[in-house]
Amino acid sequence: MQKSNSNSQQNASADKTREQVMAEREAKKQAKQAKKQKPITPATTIITQVEQTTITKKLTTTTTTTTKEQNQLQLAAAASAPSYDATVTNNAVQVSAQNTTDSLTNATGASEKTREQIKAEREAKKAAKHAAKSNKANSVDAVAQQLNNVQLTPKAAANETAATGAADQDKKKPALSKAERRAIQEAQRAAKAQGQNKNVTPTSGVAKAATSSVKATPVVSATPVKEPKRESESPAKSPSKPTTHKAEREWNVKLFNHLVSADKDASLFINDASVHPSIARLGVQYAQRTIVGSNARCIAFLHALRQVVQDFETPAKKEFGRSLDAAVKHHVEHLHKCRPLAVSVSNAYKQFKNQLMQLPDKPETELKELLGHFIDTYIENQIGKAAQAISSSMQEKITDGDVLLTFACSSLIQFICEEAKRRQVSFRVIVVDSLPFCEGQEMLRRLHACGIPCTYVLINAISYVMPEATKVMLGAHALLANGYVMARTGTAQVALVANSHNVPVLVCCETHKFSERFQTDAIVYNELCDPNQLVKDGKCCLHNWQTKSRLTPLNLSYDITPPELVSAVVTEVAILPCTSVPVILRIKPDIGY
Amino acid sequence: MREQPLNEVTQLIHAVKMGLVEGSYSITNKTLDIFKYIIMSKTWQNADALMQIVRAQSRIMQAALPQETVTSNMARRILKLTREEFELLQAKGQHFADDSQASLSLHKLVTQTSENCVSVDYSVPQQGLREALLDHLQEVETELETSSENISVQAEEHIHSSEIILTLGHSRSVENFLKRAIKKRQLLTIIVAECAPACRGHNLAASLAHEKNVEIIVIADASIFAMMSRVNKVIIGTHSVLANGGLRAACGAYTVALAAKHYSVPVIVLAPMYKLSPLHLCEQDAFNMVGCAEDVIAYDSVPARDAKVYSPMFDYVPPELVTLFISNTGGHAPSYVYRLLSELYHPEDLEL
Repeated sequence: MQKSNSNSQQNASADKTREQVMAEREAKKQAKQAKKQKPITPATTIITQVEQTTITKKLTTTTTTTTKEQNQLQLAAAASAPSYDATVTNNAVQVSAQNTTDSLTNATGASEKTREQIKAEREAKKAAKHAAKSNKANSVDAVAQQLNNVQLTPKAAANETAATGAADQDKKKPALSKAERRAIQEAQRAAKAQGQNKNVTPTSGVAKAATSSVKATPVVSATPVKEPKRESESPAKSPSKPTTHKAEREWNVKLFNHLVSADKDASLFINDASVHPSIARLGVQYAQRTIVGSNARCIAFLHALRQVVQDFETPAKKEFGRSLDAAVKHHVEHLHKCRPLAVSVSNAYKQFKNQLMQLPDKPETELKELLGHFIDTYIENQIGKAAQAISSSMQEKITDGDVLLTFACSSLIQFICEEAKRRQVSFRVIVVDSLPFCEGQEMLRRLHACGIPCTYVLINAISYVMPEATKVMLGAHALLANGYVMARTGTAQVALVANSHNVPVLVCCETHKFSERFQTDAIVYNELCDPNQLVKDGKCCLHNWQTKSRLTPLNLSYDITPPELVSAVVTEVAILPCTSVPVILRIKPDIGY
Repeated sequence: MREQPLNEVTQLIHAVKMGLVEGSYSITNKTLDIFKYIIMSKTWQNADALMQIVRAQSRIMQAALPQETVTSNMARRILKLTREEFELLQAKGQHFADDSQASLSLHKLVTQTSENCVSVDYSVPQQGLREALLDHLQEVETELETSSENISVQAEEHIHSSEIILTLGHSRSVENFLKRAIKKRQLLTIIVAECAPACRGHNLAASLAHEKNVEIIVIADASIFAMMSRVNKVIIGTHSVLANGGLRAACGAYTVALAAKHYSVPVIVLAPMYKLSPLHLCEQDAFNMVGCAEDVIAYDSVPARDAKVYSPMFDYVPPELVTLFISNTGGHAPSYVYRLLSELYHPEDLEL
């Protein structure tokens, strides 16, 4: 175990500073010593880690059903695989650090400390003391919570986890800052001390937490314990995260004060007993942007929903349909708190609610089966078959010699391109991408995997490549009732430039993403992402922007493309002008209301 | 046989290529120094010889630094100066006291006939030409030094309080202009598009953030359209202004200008006079340069192996998307640029 880890660390060590390397070496040495002295402590930790890994992997694979999504989720699983290794190493280092704390502190303390780091440390210590005082059950939670607090905003990294690959994971791993590592150590030490006081188990606190929950139902345990861990090893953009988090919220852009950024409180993800584990897990995945994209979010939601339905037990003297409705409502609210619901998800939820209202009078198991069947058909019809229908009508539009221009990543566009490739049409694709999400890189990788020649540019170079393009194909987040297209920010710009070059713009969108909302600009309703994503690295001038009073980075999720910039919308029903959205909403009333 | 570059010219070319001298202003300044050195040197005996040297050196610079038009612009200025001074001195010498000879008025342009336009023989040695030229050069130098300030003093004329201004990347003129505006006007909101992949917009934002009474928002390039609906004015710098009033500006400027047009937001371009170049380049390929693609996508990433990746440096912005130019001499409409050019350069020098 140690050796394989050291290999991977050596690969990554190129980006490390000398101090880090030295500290790590020392830590490893100590870990070895610790192993000899106390072979039990680190071993149990590693074993529990491995158990968790397998459980989570199982969970991940259960959710991969539709062919389209399978690819993506597998990639996600592959991407997360090396990160577990990282956790194990980390943990080993931490355990050793517990045994020989002083020397490691000296090693790391040798490098300069920033104020924030010291503050974070103090906070962690204080919290650790507090945890030691409280009783055992609470303290485990506290530790878990603390681990979360240490890394309150890891969704940036998590987002990239989905987009980039395993290789990137390896690169990012060493970026875990010392302050965080130390805070984690402190928390763990406190938990350990607390455990010894109570004479329950001599193992470390986190290991104990893991084992205790593993003993319970495996589905439950994997989620709440795993999340803080995963968060703890995902890299943060700046070490000042824990202390500046509160200040961050005060520096909202005035224009966007009405948009409340989603509450990323740790307790929300773990400590809510009434939330089903699959939903809690999904919530974290939404918040961290591990699951992005309208379709992926919808499918993941429906899978989680099916789990909820299956595990649902009607309370005594209550009706199945009603009580399930209430429970699902609670779950959806939880998801909404994690990240505002996608239009596709809220449409699916509405459909599901409709179904609940119309449940026949049958025994509970049959009803559950009925609902499960409904969910399956929803996924198959609304997403799978719709994609096929759109693809087949798009095939007529793609001919030899075409140069398709697309923006960011869309599973539907990918599907269409793959289909065209299968038909052996000779065409190429220009992938336009934008910082900070860089979803186009994922698109590029997928297209590259099926052998389609690609060109890749950033969005400000779009006028350079637009003259080559013969068609622009765009995915969408939602189609609004006034014909405006809501999509990843930058889409409107692509459509605008395409329009000025007289290139037709086709928006591909399934009808389950149609929304009855009206919106005319991207400011009234939007989603704010983590502004720290705009900060490139430590050398960037925006580094520590929180300390500059008047400066705010703004990271918008979506923008709105006016219908005059869109030539046509391709849906599974027909190829339509944008303005026909209300017509579709009317003939398909089950979506709208 | 081509002329050999002067030592100073070689040094300048090297410095620019190594990135030691950056920004149009410093390059222009250095070029001017070179020409001053040439004029002061004893290698030329008459105006014709001087013009030959200036032409040759500027051709060398142009060939070595095709993207830096300011060097040839400066050469054209010097050539025009030489012609003017020579003719003035000659006229004085022959007591040809015709004042209208010096200035090209519209009336003169219309009434001018071919017989008036006899080609002047510049090879005649002229007394006092060197001194007159150096005098005049001093004026050019002062103009250059004060150009940024002269632009920024016009800030008050164009910006009112609580305005929302969008800019792209980092231009020194824009930085000074906005700083001045922030001092004079209350409650400005300045939106800075970062201009990937170099993200020079971050520098501008950080520099402006030192001022008080201003709100600075840094956005990704992708959000330009989304934010444009709230923007009152777009103020951008440019790399050079082309003869038709179009711009060769930082990559992304076209999108900004187009989005501004879509929302009917005025686009103000800050361009000191030395950036005006008598070139007609309306195509991307004619003037664009592609930069290092490593910043766009890492070389070692899997998809980068087979994909073509571009990182162009400039954008062409057609004149119809520009509302106003602000130069150190005042505001100009894009349609007026040709006239400025004809005043700035001699028609025979357009081709160096």
